[in-house]
Parts: sequence; C-alpha cells; structure tokens
Amino acid sequence: MRSGVIFGVLAALLAFPDALALKANDFKTCSKSGFCRRGRALSARAQEAQASWKSPYSLDPSSVSISPDEATVKASVKSSLYPDIKFGLELRIHDDGVVRVIMDEVDGLRKRYNEAAEWALVAEPKMSKTISWTAGKKDLRAVYGEKKNIQIVVSYDPLRVTLLRNGKEQIVLNGRGLLHMEHFRSKTVKETSEEVASDSSGEGQEVLQVENVRAWFEGESEDDWWEETFSSWTDSKPKGPESLSLDISFPNHGNVYGIPQHATNLSLPSTTGDDAPYSDPYRLYNADVFEYLASSSMSLYGSIPVMHAHSADSTVGVFNAVGSETWIDISYPTKKSTHTHWISESGIMDVFLLPGPTPEQIFTQYARLTGTTALPPHWSLGYHQCRWNYVSSDDVRTVQRRFDEEDMPVDVFWLDIEYAEDHKYFIWDSKTFPDPVKMTDDVAAIGRKMVVIVDPHLKRTDSYPIYKEASDMDILVKPKSGEGEYEGWCWSGSSSWIDHFNPASWDWWISKFKTNKIDTGFSWTQSTEDIHIWNDMNEPSIFNGPEITMPKDSIHYGGWEHRDVHNINGMLFHDNTAQAIRFRGDVPKRPFVLTRSFYAGSQRISAMWTGDNLGTWEHMAVGIKMVLANGIAGMTFAGADVGGFFGNPEPEMLIRWYQVGIFSPFFRAHAHIDTKRREPFLLEEPYKSIVRDILRLRYTMLPIWYTAFRENSVTGLPIVRPHYVMFPKDPVGFAIDDQFFIGSSGILVKPITEKEITETTVYLPDDQVYYDYFTHYAYRGSSQGNYVTVRAELHQIPVFIRGGSILPTRERPRRSSPLMKHDPFTLRVALSKSGTARGELYLDDGVTYSHQQGELVWREFVAEPSAKTTRISSKDLASANPSQTVDGVMLETYNPKNAFVKEIEEVRVEKVVVLGLSNKPKSVKVENGAELYWEYIPGVPASDKKEGTSSVLHIKDPKVIVTEDWAIVIS
Amino acid sequence: MFWLLLFLPLQALGAVDKAFGVSSDLLSKYVPSKSNTWNCLDGSKQIPWDFVNDDFCDCPDGSDEPGTGACRNQSFYCQNVGHIGSFIPNSRVKDGLCEPNCCDGSDERPGVCRNTCEEVGLAYKKQIEAEMKLRKTGSKIRAKYIAFAHKEKKRLEDIIQTFAAEIAVRTKEVARIRDIAERAESLSASALELKQQSPLYTSLITHSNALKSLQREHKKHLQREKELSDVLDSLRTGYNPNYQDMAVLEAVRGWEELAGLPHINDVRKDSVSDEEAGLDEDWDSDGLEITEDVEDEMWTAEDLENDLDDLLNQDYISLLLEHDEYVQASSESSILFDVASYLPDSVIPKYEEFKETLVSWLVSLGVIKGEAPSSADTSRSRQALTNAENELNKVVKEKEDAENELKEIFNIHGYGMEGEWKKLDGTCLRTDVGDYTYEVCLFGEAKQIPIKSGSSFTLGKFASWNPSPDVKPGDEEYYKKQVYNRGHRCWNGPERNVVLLLSCGTENVLTSVVELEKCEYQFTGTTPALCLPLDDADIKSKDEL
Repeated sequence: MRSGVIFGVLAALLAFPDALALKANDFKTCSKSGFCRRGRALSARAQEAQASWKSPYSLDPSSVSISPDEATVKASVKSSLYPDIKFGLELRIHDDGVVRVIMDEVDGLRKRYNEAAEWALVAEPKMSKTISWTAGKKDLRAVYGEKKNIQIVVSYDPLRVTLLRNGKEQIVLNGRGLLHMEHFRSKTVKETSEEVASDSSGEGQEVLQVENVRAWFEGESEDDWWEETFSSWTDSKPKGPESLSLDISFPNHGNVYGIPQHATNLSLPSTTGDDAPYSDPYRLYNADVFEYLASSSMSLYGSIPVMHAHSADSTVGVFNAVGSETWIDISYPTKKSTHTHWISESGIMDVFLLPGPTPEQIFTQYARLTGTTALPPHWSLGYHQCRWNYVSSDDVRTVQRRFDEEDMPVDVFWLDIEYAEDHKYFIWDSKTFPDPVKMTDDVAAIGRKMVVIVDPHLKRTDSYPIYKEASDMDILVKPKSGEGEYEGWCWSGSSSWIDHFNPASWDWWISKFKTNKIDTGFSWTQSTEDIHIWNDMNEPSIFNGPEITMPKDSIHYGGWEHRDVHNINGMLFHDNTAQAIRFRGDVPKRPFVLTRSFYAGSQRISAMWTGDNLGTWEHMAVGIKMVLANGIAGMTFAGADVGGFFGNPEPEMLIRWYQVGIFSPFFRAHAHIDTKRREPFLLEEPYKSIVRDILRLRYTMLPIWYTAFRENSVTGLPIVRPHYVMFPKDPVGFAIDDQFFIGSSGILVKPITEKEITETTVYLPDDQVYYDYFTHYAYRGSSQGNYVTVRAELHQIPVFIRGGSILPTRERPRRSSPLMKHDPFTLRVALSKSGTARGELYLDDGVTYSHQQGELVWREFVAEPSAKTTRISSKDLASANPSQTVDGVMLETYNPKNAFVKEIEEVRVEKVVVLGLSNKPKSVKVENGAELYWEYIPGVPASDKKEGTSSVLHIKDPKVIVTEDWAIVIS
Repeated sequence: MFWLLLFLPLQALGAVDKAFGVSSDLLSKYVPSKSNTWNCLDGSKQIPWDFVNDDFCDCPDGSDEPGTGACRNQSFYCQNVGHIGSFIPNSRVKDGLCEPNCCDGSDERPGVCRNTCEEVGLAYKKQIEAEMKLRKTGSKIRAKYIAFAHKEKKRLEDIIQTFAAEIAVRTKEVARIRDIAERAESLSASALELKQQSPLYTSLITHSNALKSLQREHKKHLQREKELSDVLDSLRTGYNPNYQDMAVLEAVRGWEELAGLPHINDVRKDSVSDEEAGLDEDWDSDGLEITEDVEDEMWTAEDLENDLDDLLNQDYISLLLEHDEYVQASSESSILFDVASYLPDSVIPKYEEFKETLVSWLVSLGVIKGEAPSSADTSRSRQALTNAENELNKVVKEKEDAENELKEIFNIHGYGMEGEWKKLDGTCLRTDVGDYTYEVCLFGEAKQIPIKSGSSFTLGKFASWNPSPDVKPGDEEYYKKQVYNRGHRCWNGPERNVVLLLSCGTENVLTSVVELEKCEYQFTGTTPALCLPLDDADIKSKDEL
C-alpha cells in the first residue's frame, strides 16, 4: 500500500509539466453533459429522418388570444408526444419592432426558472400600441415597419416562428423541428406511461415488448435524467430533466457573431457539418478555465447569449435570455445561410428577435433591452498597472516613483489578492500594508487611483466580519439540502459565497464599502474614495467544485437551483459592488469595477477583461477578437491583460502587446505571481522609449476614446468596431477581425500580433483616402476594397485616419490623465476625397454625475470646402440634441455656459493639422480675425488617385477656445 | 516650408519671460538676433524671437519652449533662490501639482504654489549634515575594518611561513618512511601477489565492491528521498492554489498520509504552531521510518549509518596478511607455536625473539615453510607511510587555504581594494519580517527561518558583488549590492535568490526584506564598510549650502 502511495505521489510530481496547460478533463464536453448529449442526439435523429421529420409541437388555433390594446398574443401549445402536458406561448412586439417570444410549461409539476430576462433587461420594454396581430387559418401574423416590410409569422402546425423582411426569411424558430421543452415529471412517470401504453394495446403481460412511441424524437433511454456524474462529482438533479432545445435559423445570412465569451474568431466557425473546425458546440457556462486555449468553443468566464446574423442585405439579432448552461451548435448549410441549435439546461424560452436591418439598429435595439455602458470615470481609460502582487505599500510607492522618474504616464495601480490578510478581502495585511490610507493618498497625490480586489469567496471564520455578518443574516448560498451554508474551497481556504440573488444582501453589501464608520457592523474605514474595485473569481470559481465552480444543486434565494442562475450569478456580484462604490461618499461618483464574469446587462456598470490569458502570440491575437466580440454583445469596456497573465514575454512581445493594449477600451498590464517583474520602466533601451511613446499615444488619444464612450452610452454602438459594423455591405470585411475602427473617429488600426514582423497588409474597404497617422502617407481604398502593404517594424503601429475625419487629441505628456485637464487640444483634419471632414469631442468632469445635469461639452468639428476656401468650424452639439447627449439621460435643455465649461474656459486649440489640401493656401485666418501663422508642406492631395505623403498644413496656435464656436478659414 | 510672417501680434505673446525655465549656463543663448529672430539650439531652424516660450513648440529639438510644456522631453529649470536650482521634466510644468523639486513654485501658474525654498533649503542642509555625520562616524569604523584586514594579512603571512617550514620537515619524513616501506614491500611483493589470488580474498574484494556500490546507490536513494520530501514539504506548506489543481491537492494528501502528517488545511485552521508540535511526535511512529523486526546479526539502519564506512575502509591487504598469520598459527598448532600460551607474560617478548630465530633456522633447514619478512611488518610500514602523507597533505592544504584567503583580502572582487570587508566575513545580519527571520551571513549564506517552527530555507549563497555590466568593479556602486544565489528551489519556480542592497550606516543591520517576485528576495541593510571618509570636495559642497 505504501509503495502504491509513493508511486502515486511520484506520478503526480512527474505529471506537473503537463499540468501547466489547460486541463481539459476539468470541463465537460457536450458528450459528458446529459442534456447537451440529449439535444445533440435529437438533432442527429432529425438529420437522419430528413424530410419525414416533423416537430411534435403545435399551436392550438382555438386558444389564440390577441390583446386588444397592445401587440401581444397568447396561445396554447402542445406536444404530440405528451398530449396531457400544457405549454403556453406568448409573442410581444415592442415599439421598436423587437419581437419577444416566450414559452413556458403551464400548470406543470414545478416552475421553470423565468427571471433571467428580469436581471438582463434595463427596463420593462414598451409594447407597440400600433402593430396588430391577425389570426388566420394556418398562422398568426403581424406586419409592421416604416415600409410595412417586416412580417412576423407564427405557423400553427408544426409550431414555427418566422421573421421576414421584404418577404425574405430573416430568423426562423423551430424551422428544423428541434424545439423541445422537457416537461417536469416525477421519477416514476416512465413506468406509468409504459403501463398506460401497454394497457391500451391490450397486451398487459408483455410490457417489455412495447415500443417507446416517443423514441423517434426523445431517444430510447432516460439519458441522465435524474442524476449525473462528472469526474468525482454527482449532480443530484432533484427536478429531473427540464432542458430546452431550440433551433434558430438564418436562411439568408452567412455570418454569425457574438455569444461571447469564447476564444475564437469574430465570425463564428462552425461546430457541426462538414469540416467543422470545432467538434463541440459553443458553450455558455461561466467558468474559470485555467490556461485556456487560444482557439476553442469551450466556455470561459462570462456569457452573453446574443447573436448577430449578417449578410450584405441585412443584419438581424437574437437575444436568448437564459441563465442556465447553454450549448450552441452552429453550421453553415450554404455560404449564405446559417443554422444554430441552442440547448439550455433549464429555464423558460424567452427569445428576443432583433429585426435590424443595419448593425447600428441592432445595437440600438439590443441597448434598449439591456442598456448601454454608463460613461465610465475618465481616468479609467488611462493606463492601469497591475501585478499579482505588489507586495507592500512601499512597493506601490516605489513602482509609482519609477513611473514618474521615467516620465511614463499611468493612472491606476492595482492590488491583487495578497494585500488581504489570509485572503479576507477588505482586511489589509498589516505586516505589508500598515498604512493603506496613506498609501492611497500618496498615489492620489499625482491624480491617480487604486483598484483593489474583492473576490466573492468569504473565508469561513467568525473573526472575519464580512463572513460573520453574512452568516448571521443568512444570506449565503445554501447546499443542496437547502439548509445551512454551502462550503467550498478557494483562495481563502474553506469559504462561503454571498447569495446576491437575496435582496437582503444588497444594502448590506453596499454598506460594507462606506469609508466612514457605520452603526451596523463592518465598513471599510481603511479605504478612501480613491480606491475602486476589482471583482474576480465571480463565475464563481471554486477550486474543489465540479468544473471549478459551484455544484448545480446548490440553492439560491427563492429556492432556485444554482443551475438556473449560474450565468447570471457573476453579474449580480459586480453590479452590487458598483452600486456600493457609486454611493459610498457624500457625492455619488462614477464607480470603476472590473469583473471577470459577466452576463447580458453587465455592460451597464462594469468593465471586463478576458481573464487569465497566456503570454503567447496566439493569445495576443485572439484577445483582439474577443474584445471585438464582447463589444458587439454590448460588453464594450473590455480588454485583455497586456503581456499575458502567464509567462515572461520577451521585449518584442511585450511591446507588441502594449500596441494592442492602447487600442483596447480597457488598457491594463497584469502578470502572474510566478512571473518576473515587467513594468515598462524595467525595459532596456530602445524598448523602454518605444513603450513610453506607446503609453503617451494612448494618453494623446484619450479625447477620442472618451468621445467614443459617449456615443456608446447613447446608441450602444461599440467602442471598437469590426469591419462588418462599419461597412455592412462589403462581404470582404465580414470575417476580418484583426483590424478595426475606434468609435466613429475614423481611426483604423491593425495591431501586429506576430513575431519578427516588419510590414503587414491592411484592408481598406471603401473608395476613400486613408492617411497614416504618423507619416501622413495617403493610401487609397477602392469600392471593391483594396489591400495595401505598410511598414510595421517594432516601433511602428499601423494606424490610419480615414479621409473625412477630424481627431481631437492632447499632445502634452503628463504623469496621469487628470493632470491633462487644462491642456490644449490639437485637431487633425483628415480631408476626404471631396475635401470634407467631421469629428466630435465630448468632455465632462470625468468623475461625478454632473454630466447628467448637463455639465458637459459636446462639440462637432466640420471641414467644408467651398469654391475657394476650406472652412473648419466648431459648433455645439449638446444644444442641438439635448436628449441624445449622454448615458441615455434625456436632457431637456443644455446651457453652453454650464459650470464645467467655465472650469475649462481657457482650454484652447493649440494646433490644427490639415491633411490632403490640394493647393498651398493664400491665407489662413480665424473667421473675422487675424491671419494666423502656418506652414504648408506640399504633397498628395486627398482628391488625387495616387498614393504618397499627403500635403500637410500646420496651423500654429489659432487660440480658439475649445468650448466656444469658432471657424478657421483657409483660402 | 516656412512660417509666413504676415504680422506679429505681440500683445498675444510674451506673457512668459523668454528665458523662463532656462538654467544659468544656457542663459546667454536665449537672446534675440539683431533681426529679432532666434535659432533653435540645434541650429535646425530660425524662428521669430516672439516664438520663444510662447507655449507652442516650433523647434524640432524643443529648445524654443524652455519654460512651458509645449515641447516634449524638455527640462525645466527652477531657480529655487535660497536653495539649489533644479531641473524637472517639463511634463510637470503647469500640470496643477506643485513639484517638490521646484520649491520656488515656478512650475505652476503664479499664485498656485507657495515658495517654500527657505524651509526646504534648511531641511536639506540638515539632512546633508546628518548624512555627513553618519559618514564620518561610519568611516571611523571602516578604518578599523581596514586595520583589521592588514592584521589579518600579517597573521596569514605568518602562518603561511610556519606551514612552509612544517611542510619542509614533513616532506623529508615522508621520504624516509616511504623508503623503509618500499624496501619491506619489495621483499614481500611476490608473496603478496600469490596470496591475493586466494579465492577467499578475491571474493572478499568482490563483496566489498558490491557493498560499496550498494552503499553508493543507497545514499543516492536517501538523497533523492530527502529531496523529494523537501519538495513535498514545501508543496504541502506553500502550494499555490492558483493552479486550482486537484492533482496537487491529492499529491499533498498522499504525502501527508505517507509521512504521517496532519492535513495542512486542518492545520491552517488551527494555526500552524500546533501542527509542528504534532508533526514531531507523529513522525517516528507513523512516519517514513518504519520500525521492523531485524534478525539477529543483521545490521540495523543505525549500524549501517554508523559502521558501514569503517567496515569498507579496512585495509584488505593488511587483513589478508593478518588472516594468513591467523590461519598459520592455528593450522601449525604445534607446541612450538603454541608455547606462548603457556608462558607468563613477562617472558613472551624474549620467547618471541627466540622463536623467530628458531623458526628461521627451521625454515632454512626446510623443516617448516618460510615466511619472509613478516606480513605484520609490511602492513605496519604501509600504514605509517599513509599517515605521514596525510599529515603532509593536511598542512599543504592549510597553507593553500591561507594563501587563498590572503589573496581575497585586497581583491576588488573579494573583500575590497582596502580589505574593508574582511572584518565582516561571516558576520550574520538578521531581521524579522512577518512570520520569518531573515538572515544573511556576509560572504556566506542567506536564510529564511520560520519564527514559530518549521524548516528553514536557504535563500542563496554568496555569488558576487553587483554583477551589472554598467558598474565598474571596485567602484563605490559595486559594493552597494551583493548577490546570493542558488538557494532552495521554489515549488514550481526558480531557485531562491537574494539581492542585498547596502548603504553607509554606523551599524551592520538589515533594514528590510521584500519578495518582489516569487523567490526573488531583496534585502536592504547598512554597514560602516560603505562609509567612505569625507574628502575635501564633500566638505566644500557642504559649506556652500
């Protein structure tokens, strides 16, 4: 026996090299998940049966009930397999044309989970009062849209829901007959039904010979209906089978995007059919996947069940509001059509059909459902320096000093889990952080912030006030018995988890972040308002749980099983934290909360990152695609760890990663505890200076990023935009995900993510001039698209300004972004082929909510050519569009002399650079003012066809004020 | 290509003094030409004088904006009247924060920052004075260290001489004994060769070789087992749950069962100190050391540990000869050979003498088989030679050591040009941080010792002074850093290393220990060895304050 043990120990030790990689066996494949296996088997049977396959579900025409005053219709649905089981179907058409399809079991043994949408939606959608349903003999239908070109059709038998536009099928539910809602049953039901079946056939004695009449659809066996074992864990499944299978087809769309988070291409590769790159369906089951693969359909930390289907003709979307584990098969029967099959473990069917038909409209429609990203604190767009771990308050001070000595800008220093004594979050380790408030003040003295981690696992010891209070309040997640406290293993050892579904936890959690003493227990007096929060491990990650998470039969508030709410769980945690940060002081301030786990709706208040990536070129590349995919699913404030969490990147890789990082909405460098230190000031020359320039470029462009966040906060359009969003009619761009645009600014970037690159090919999608941001070289796109080759040595980033754009930047290096508040602006006017250009600038105090009272600046810059002049002007946009200004707040009026404007009234435009003028000007003046100093370097004009360095006009210090209307005339 | 100078709105410019932010040595360059122009300092461009310090960057080298933040990567000079002038990066000019290095407040708009130069100057002067005092006191101790090194040098030189004399004597002695031994052996060599062919002897040698090999393998295994248990112990106490790896947890549990340790998680719940107490008690009964029944005459583990080496180090030749004597004595159990047993002790030496004479006669007469010379003599002289050689080697080695030590004293890579570090060789500095005592014995080993209980880790052994290629060996900077490396390997990580950063102080102490990266420790401390005596320049600069 002993030798056996020794052998086992040795084997474990020898196996460690392998352990430094994904442990695929920790996670289920579809074949190891009962309901997924059942769902895929159903699909396989349908495939085999081909034309003879018919969905057993049908709508009872006699049950149709159309609401008299809004666009809602209800009806009964039954399955021919189980004639006694009742299902209810409801369709609602919202005032923006979105169709919500809800189906649930009626009068069942139990209740299916039906609260996912409640957590995801920002507000109760408004029903259309003008669209009306008509019930026909074979179907129900409604026709709407400005041109009456949208049709929603519900066929009775078999049940089928189709959205059409101009007579073309856009979205089809149950078109392949894979709809199956497993009804609740008691464990003996099967025998009973067999007896019933045998009785009816009159051969009571030969029970075994009776054919299972439902096998053609459901299969022969009760496959993992009542219990499921994975590795050493057994899921008790007290409710039995309750999965939902639904096929969603896009007969006229050949590309689908979304359903983050997966490490894969933006245009999702297929999972079934010939030559499918992935063998498993895309999985949505929030999970802490150690050293995840750079290309896989495996689930990761967050889940947003929203999908775009795109063609040159139209874009449509589907939001499937489900909170349980969901697997999605994708296949492309033809190049121009897509089949998807969604298999969820529990919950009602609650699907939103987004009619589009443009990407912009999809974003707006989805934003109206789940909300947009509230304008984040301005400083959070700066550079974040993180490491697991800065080991002491003196370490933090030293890192800050080194940044300042090297004159490298940084806004935020982060503390990972080791600041906390025994990983009891909030409780500083007094040996290493004896003076947390003083340390934070020292950081804040340079205008900076700190972000400190607070994870959801609570160390189970009564000396930890957070645990003790939660335990006393009985707001912890319960084990499957429904009694007591669920106990699992995480950083803090034996731990329990707050049940944020329990409303009693909300105010309590918010009170823990107060920086002053409170009467009702612990509050974080050892913190200041300059500390913001990082919520990690909120999938939740549980080291000794099945698939490194919580057992599905654990019990949440209201008696719901963890299986019902798993994917929503992480969102409630970071959402409550953000509320706490917002309201901890006397004046509400914008919170910054970074979350690893997320769900539809998370975007409203938190930023996310792509988790524990590896320091490899593949991970660097896929990080860009993941940020794009999150962006189109609403989760726009996103980024990947610069440098890669695991590993020690060589200087070349680190530099390329910084180049990727500055073009992500969220820009943070992070490193694992086992890695060498790699703060940019540690680099040797020339790498150090290259990274300094990269950091400064980010800061230079902060006005562009902030302006993009404003737009997103109103429209839901992502911060970083893939080609199909910008040029939806250009099929070449549909699968491009290694170059992208920044907001509406006109900046196109292609970061380099490969080793030893000196040049690269960039796709220019339209007949327009694209200027190299740094050299002003003019490249030409064409209406069929054009590939150009550009230099991309280590210090070079392929960044372009699309002709027709005006970029506001701030070019003076500072140590942190708040110190730029009074710095002047530079405007880059990149003329289009027709000599025009346009750009926007949004500013506010960046910290409080005074912008929601209209204390802000929102300007438009326009360059317009006329016979002999080009006129560059600035005008106020907020007065003209008060309801569209910011954050979905409907300002009624806007005061152009508001308090914020007064604060920055001396801020001027110090320089204007005009690219692509045709001729040397004769005069450059502020309108009705003095002649200005200027310098003209002849070059290729925008209107030309040829490539070459463009003409550049530098206008020196026009001294026009950025908050005022003005014009500069070039004659 | 050129700025078009249409007219000069002077009133808009000139808000800032043209020489603002310029250091005194460059002031002469900030004057306009006769035509009221100015050349960028690198000569690349001519601009109107009004463009200097107009908060817009005109010169490619940035030299036209010494007093604003308009050009990148420039230095701004604060006059700091009443204190010392100082350069700051111009990225800090008008950023809203008062620079500590600009006590005159000139880096911000007028009225933003108070002029604090007087108090800053005073504080600075005090600080410099304190530093000087420290250096003065420290350098006195350092002088003692240097004196010590010279004494050491003398001492070593003396013992080297002594050793040299002794070596001469012993070399002669070895030569003499070797001569005797060789003579004795040459007589017996052929006889010995024959004896060595005896089956018993050859088998003995084979047994011995086999046993030696077994011992070597056994030691290897013991060493391996020790290393494995070290690995597993550090895995158990320090495993990184980040790997979220149940395999690791199983390994820990397996090890605990095998070694009879309580589960670390239970231990952590109860506090670590209880665990260690329990650990020691449990170790013998349940642990790796399994007690087993040993047959009589079989060696116990303890015997193996203690006596095996002696057994194997036996001189088999001597044994062979003794064996021969023994066998002959018993086989020729004639009265003659056994007479001794009947004789009183006092007569035996005489008898032996007589016997040898008698036997030699008998041999020469062919009555008994001859044996010349006595085996006992041969082995004795061999032993004497070995002993004498060992003694000689020992002294030679001691002399070499002393010579090496002498070389190190004034070696810039060793104890410094002046030998000021010699005194500190082996001096151990300690400090407590958290649950550990950290110790570095200079030029020796650095350690992490748990305060409560548990095993210590070697953090590294002295490897070198500051290894940076930018630092010249022998310079002051060189001695401000020591590297200790190749300590115990970290679980799943590198070998532990220590960088010791030293500065001048009146005492040899460790002031802090941080683990900035996993298993990379940074110690800081002070030592008088770094307190260089004040020179004239130091005193002069102090007086200028």
